[in-house]
Amino acid sequence: MDLMTNALRGEGIALSFGGIKVLKGLDVEFRAGEITGLIGPNGAGKTSLFNCLTGAYSPQQGAISYAGEALNGLPPAARANKGIVRSFQHVALCPDLTVRENVMVGIARNGKSGWLDAFLPLPRGIREREEMARSADAALADLGLLDVGERFPGELPPGMQRLVEIARAVVGKPSVLLLDEPAAGLNNSETRDLTKVLRKLASTELAMVVVEHDMDLVMSICDRIYVLNFGEIVASGSPEEVRSNPDVVRIYLGSDEDD
Amino acid sequence: MSDHATHLAPGQVILSRLSGVATSGLTTAILVAVLIVMPVMLGGSWIFTLGLCFANSIGVLAVSLLVRYGGEVSIGHTFFTALGAYSVGVLDTSYGISLWASVPLALLLGVMFGLLFAWPSRNLHGIYLAVTTLALALAVPEMINNFDTLTGGYEGLYVATPFIPGIEMGLQRYYVALFLLVLVCLAVARLRRSRQGMALLLAKTNAAAADAFGTRRVWARLSIMGISGGIGAICGAALAFSGSTVSPGGFTFWQAIFLLVGSVVSFYGLSLTRVLIGGAFVTLVPQLLSASGAWIPVLYGLALLGMILLGHYLPRIREMMSRKSEAA
Repeated sequence: MDLMTNALRGEGIALSFGGIKVLKGLDVEFRAGEITGLIGPNGAGKTSLFNCLTGAYSPQQGAISYAGEALNGLPPAARANKGIVRSFQHVALCPDLTVRENVMVGIARNGKSGWLDAFLPLPRGIREREEMARSADAALADLGLLDVGERFPGELPPGMQRLVEIARAVVGKPSVLLLDEPAAGLNNSETRDLTKVLRKLASTELAMVVVEHDMDLVMSICDRIYVLNFGEIVASGSPEEVRSNPDVVRIYLGSDEDD
Repeated sequence: MSDHATHLAPGQVILSRLSGVATSGLTTAILVAVLIVMPVMLGGSWIFTLGLCFANSIGVLAVSLLVRYGGEVSIGHTFFTALGAYSVGVLDTSYGISLWASVPLALLLGVMFGLLFAWPSRNLHGIYLAVTTLALALAVPEMINNFDTLTGGYEGLYVATPFIPGIEMGLQRYYVALFLLVLVCLAVARLRRSRQGMALLLAKTNAAAADAFGTRRVWARLSIMGISGGIGAICGAALAFSGSTVSPGGFTFWQAIFLLVGSVVSFYGLSLTRVLIGGAFVTLVPQLLSASGAWIPVLYGLALLGMILLGHYLPRIREMMSRKSEAA
């Protein structure tokens, strides 16, 4: 299949809360095999766009499709079933589950075991849990987290918690991975590790989208970048093109108000 | 606990957790063994009371499960216990059918009505849902009295059909409740490790994240209410068999409150030990205070406060004692 057709597209996405227009008719395309950056000042509409793409918000106007299939009206769970997964701006792990189990939740929806398996020690449920644990361990190993699989999220530093979230998102081999500020709260060393991890995750089958304030990270890993401001795309292109765009420099990169 | 674990090497953490699991499993096994031999050592009235205690522990577990996996509080679980109890009572008195059939029927009805309640209330949370469950509790005694041809009205029903013919009925009333309690605890322990259980826990903690990974909020609410309702009905079935009578007095609003109190006293624990603490509080404290006349509510409140404070400070006291022994 042509990888270029395996793209998550948004056409004319408009979203408003009350009278406030949060997104003003955005056209975006996130292609398989590319890492796309989504940057802009706080309040530019980046997370709102994520929420529209994943089904958490329903835009008043516009069409969202993946690989040519319309997604409008589909709830988040159904979009997850199509391989569109995300991480969250604020770490959203379950403190009652171990790190391994948190990652296993990323593929729990694919399980075939029923309620009887949930309550009784039946072979199918036991086998399925073992398979899920193996997949989770493989994802954790890819991110260098295998040693902490038995720990609980609260016992880990913020950087590791972020990586666990990413492991949960990638364990199901998604086709679209939306990462919302994956470097938020990380120190320089943790951000460097994260950069390596994101590069390692990139593949020809995966469309990765990164919302991020850390310009070094965005510029170093992204193939394309969209710049948002007040709900509009003010620039798009390669990191070099965006970096040299005077509007971008004015509204975002060169501004002291970014942080 | 987390602070402690942070300072341990990964290997040590795993060992510490494994030993915790082993200790917990061993404690449970010893507890079950002690409870199995208990009738040899105790008199008839104590066996009867402990049977009720086991049954109430199942109800406490049903309420705690809703808190732990659904993040919601119920003050109306007597609706489900009544369903279970009258399934046993009606089948026994009207058709002579024993628990072999009435317990599965109770479970089915509990799950079904849990789902029926959960659907219209699926978007209610916190105090709003709790007050809605209150309506269930308030309606139960009236409903039982209105269907008196079936339920026996105020007089109630007497459960006399043995579970296993040939075995002394007093012992059966004890062991059946114990068996059901252990069975439910084991099933709930398995739920924790299942994909459904993990998804429910994530949905409770962070519904948006659960949504993003394929767990719908409505599914989570329906599932946990169905499970909790089903276990509540098994509690009722056990209460009917162990208590030998089923009457509206056993399913009042206050009984629903007591189940919630038992759940709080057990700190919403789902292990056998914890739910037994809750069940014992629900069953034994009112009996112990029965001679206190007008002081009963005050003493009950003090007992509740004492249990909560003990549960709160016990870990600290233990820590202090272990530090002292290390220093010595």
